[in-house]
Amino acid sequence: MKKKKEAIISAKNLKKSFTTKDRSQDIFDQLNLDIYKGDFTVIMGSSGAGKSTLMYALSGMDRPTAGEIKFNGKNITKLNDDQLAVFRRKNCGFVFQQIYLLEKMSLMDNVITAGALVNKNRKEITKKASELFELVNIPEETQKKFSSQISGGEAQRAGIVRAVINRPEVLFADEPTGALNSGNSDAVLDVFTKLHCNGQSIIMVTHDKKSALRGNRIIYLKDGQIFGECDLEGFSDGDEKRKDKLDIFLAKMGW
Amino acid sequence: MGKIGRMVIHNLKKDKGQYLSFGIIILLTAFILNLALVLSFQMDRAYDRKSDDLSTAGLYFCIPKVQNTASLKRELSDLKGVERVESKEGIFTSAVIKEFRGVDFAMNTIFYNMDEIHHLNQYEIVKESNKSFEATVFIPLFVAEFGEYSLEDEIVYEVDGTEYAFHVAGILEEMQYGNAGSGLLCAYLPEDAYQTFAGEKEGNQVIEYSLMTNGDVDETKSQINEMLSNKGIHLVSMLDSASAKQTRTMVCDLTVLILMAFSFVVLLVSMFLCKFRIQNSIEEEITQMGVLKAMGYTGTMLLMAVIFPYMIVGGISALAGILLSYGLLPGLVQMLALQSGFSFQPGFDTGALILVLLILIGVTLFFTYLAAKRIKKLVPIDAIRGNSGGKRGRRNYFPLDEAAGSLHVNLILKQIAVSAKQNVLLFLVSFLMMVLAAFAGTLFYNVVIEPEHFTSTLSEEMPSIILTVKPDRFEKMKKEMLDISEVEQVLEYASVKLEVKEKTVTAFIAQDFSLVSNDLCYEGRNPEKENEIAVGSGLASDYSIGDKITIKNGNSDCTYDIVGYIQSVNYQGEVLELTNEGYLNLDSTYQSQSLYLYLNEKADVERFVEEIEKKYERDIISVVNYDKMAKSSQRIYSDMVEGIIAAIFLVTILIIFLVLYMMIKSLIIKRKQELGIYKAIGYSNIQLILQIAGSFLPVSAAAILISAVAGLWYMPVINGMLFQMIGAMKNNLEVSFVFLMLFAICQIAIDFVISVCLALPIRKISAYSLIRE
Repeated sequence: MKKKKEAIISAKNLKKSFTTKDRSQDIFDQLNLDIYKGDFTVIMGSSGAGKSTLMYALSGMDRPTAGEIKFNGKNITKLNDDQLAVFRRKNCGFVFQQIYLLEKMSLMDNVITAGALVNKNRKEITKKASELFELVNIPEETQKKFSSQISGGEAQRAGIVRAVINRPEVLFADEPTGALNSGNSDAVLDVFTKLHCNGQSIIMVTHDKKSALRGNRIIYLKDGQIFGECDLEGFSDGDEKRKDKLDIFLAKMGW
Repeated sequence: MGKIGRMVIHNLKKDKGQYLSFGIIILLTAFILNLALVLSFQMDRAYDRKSDDLSTAGLYFCIPKVQNTASLKRELSDLKGVERVESKEGIFTSAVIKEFRGVDFAMNTIFYNMDEIHHLNQYEIVKESNKSFEATVFIPLFVAEFGEYSLEDEIVYEVDGTEYAFHVAGILEEMQYGNAGSGLLCAYLPEDAYQTFAGEKEGNQVIEYSLMTNGDVDETKSQINEMLSNKGIHLVSMLDSASAKQTRTMVCDLTVLILMAFSFVVLLVSMFLCKFRIQNSIEEEITQMGVLKAMGYTGTMLLMAVIFPYMIVGGISALAGILLSYGLLPGLVQMLALQSGFSFQPGFDTGALILVLLILIGVTLFFTYLAAKRIKKLVPIDAIRGNSGGKRGRRNYFPLDEAAGSLHVNLILKQIAVSAKQNVLLFLVSFLMMVLAAFAGTLFYNVVIEPEHFTSTLSEEMPSIILTVKPDRFEKMKKEMLDISEVEQVLEYASVKLEVKEKTVTAFIAQDFSLVSNDLCYEGRNPEKENEIAVGSGLASDYSIGDKITIKNGNSDCTYDIVGYIQSVNYQGEVLELTNEGYLNLDSTYQSQSLYLYLNEKADVERFVEEIEKKYERDIISVVNYDKMAKSSQRIYSDMVEGIIAAIFLVTILIIFLVLYMMIKSLIIKRKQELGIYKAIGYSNIQLILQIAGSFLPVSAAAILISAVAGLWYMPVINGMLFQMIGAMKNNLEVSFVFLMLFAICQIAIDFVISVCLALPIRKISAYSLIRE
């Protein structure tokens, strides 16, 4: 019998609108969604479907226009900016398409800047960061470099280390391979898979099938609603069955 | 509209706030600079015009009426360089004006008959009462303004112990004496009152000769001195219009100098800021510039698009500042009239306008070009890739895995380490602002907290009380005064008129200059022996220490050894110091009549004066509460200085605000994404606000503290320069380290509070939008 999954994030009647001078546009409305602990959830959809907007709303990075988001049972839509900041530093990790490493800092400093916010023991943080850098295959000499001195793949892997240094409940990734070449993409995706295998909950926004295949749950967003959902089994390289299942699902969604 | 015009308008719209800040600073600079230039140009012109309108003589002197001869006028007319001579009667008195700004004010006053027709040294009635009183007087503007007398007020002149009360029938402007600096004031009485007064003061009647000259006034003075000396005629007083003008415009000149220095500092700050802003803007928009260059825009077009907005804003703001300054000018002139005894209506000055515009636009053009010239050399592809051609730091300062201490402190230090240009600007601005604060602070300390430092610089000896004693009671009084417990010191001190090279000068005579409370000597030493003399700064160019100098007193003369230089602001430095014994060589019958009393700090001077007047009524001729008089003039200076300090502080805070506004705004724009990343990874608003404010604090605090400590050196230099301009070669102003530090701490606190306030808007920007934008 399949074990019932524990919802780590529950969104109810979620609405997000953008208002300009003369008009207001709903990105999504009355959206309901549960994200489960340990899942590698992939949000897909066409451009402008609101994938990233939804993900940033779920993470407390952005505020929904209406609705409720419960994170581990706590309503984060009621938190003020500073409470949200504290919430994020303890519960969320972020990986961005444009990587967004702090330019004037070494990779190691980028990671410690996030880690030392939660754990005051600098030595412990440094040790943990070194372990994570090792996990993502970034050698010690590279750790001392600036983002402008390394490849995009290395920078993104460093970004992942920064995102997970505080052992977040959920790792949010917004098109993490969008700006990378194929080789670097695979290396980054491998890191995600490794983290998922270690029990890390991940929400990833992507429009890349190859990236989506790393997830175990695919949510398809269309016209501001969850248009469809696909449950893939755990990732293993070369799993053609999963690939086919995803292809059929995406075709059904009109991808 | 051309391509450049569109780009200029786009730039102006995009950074409205920043151009506004720049505009306000330029407005402020133009405001101050125009005040200085208009004052400098117009006060001088207005003075000369009024002087001409009132046919003010170049030279005027008084002799006792009894010594006047019928032939003297003709002989004076025959002197070389003399064009016209006129004589009139007067009553020369050593008067004490009662209740002059609440105190007794001892001042030589010459009373004239206002109905006597004369063509030289005329006056102009500014205000006149219609009411009739028994005894009336027309007083000069200085007495009315400084002494706080209005029309119809009663004014009492005490002459030789007798009080003469008049009602002020009119206030007049004259260019002959003007203010207390020349040591002589005038008053005009109607015919009847004059004749009555003259009848009572026969011995004080003088004939004043006014001379229009076209040659060297000093040479004419010498000829007159020689002529009078040969005839055995006593010279009661001699003044020339140039010296009177110098004395009367002294505060105005000082004000102009301070305003000029002030505007220079503000201008310098605005230019640093403008350069910083342009450099930042190039870095922010490098990609856009690259794209425009790739599209075919030339470097000159892009350069002009950057420079022109500053020129436009600078020009408009300068014009606004100039126009606004005319709102303050009448008030400022009115304030200066207090000291100069001369007022004028400042008019619009085209010369000043052109000069201010040229200076400000020229300097702006120079600095903006300097900051933006590298745009011309930008290679489009490099620019598109975000390479502005500047140096890129590759050093990881304060690595967090190695650095000890708080994470936030380390992040602040990192930020400081990578912000070299910002640090330089912040350092320079904070340093300069502290110079202004140090100037204001030192002035405040020496005028309000320790006022005697300031007044002693501008005055001569400063006792608590000056007693004029009947000659036969002098020794008895001196002894009895010394026995009173409240009296700390009693000093025989007097001032007399002597001659040096046919020039009449004031000499201070004292029994022992080591007992004086205000040592006037700024080089060498005071005289100690009968053959020694100290000369004033006005004579220093003609005589060196060690030289011999011959002094004349009527028919007597004596040669002395010069042992030191002394200063005097009030007599253009033409003063001498002699011991009692030394003076006896020139006047063997000299008997000191003047006793300077120094009371202890706890003594009630007012009560003491009353008691002395009552107890020694028969022994004394007059008592002057000098302490009260000094305090009264201190109050005037305190009021003025408090105004100056308030203005300096307001301007300083405004500049700090504008500078930090431009820097923080720039920083938020430049680091928007970085701040977004910080927010995304969980940094709270308060952490980021403190991080921003904190990254300014160490540099500005260091600059302020260094400037404050350096103030111990530069403030005496500034004070020295300012006071030397008005003839005070030595000033007694103290630069209080504690006070400097107090002002420095205030400025640091203000800097921090302003930085925090200006960084507050980042609260309103979500992490998401920061990243997205």
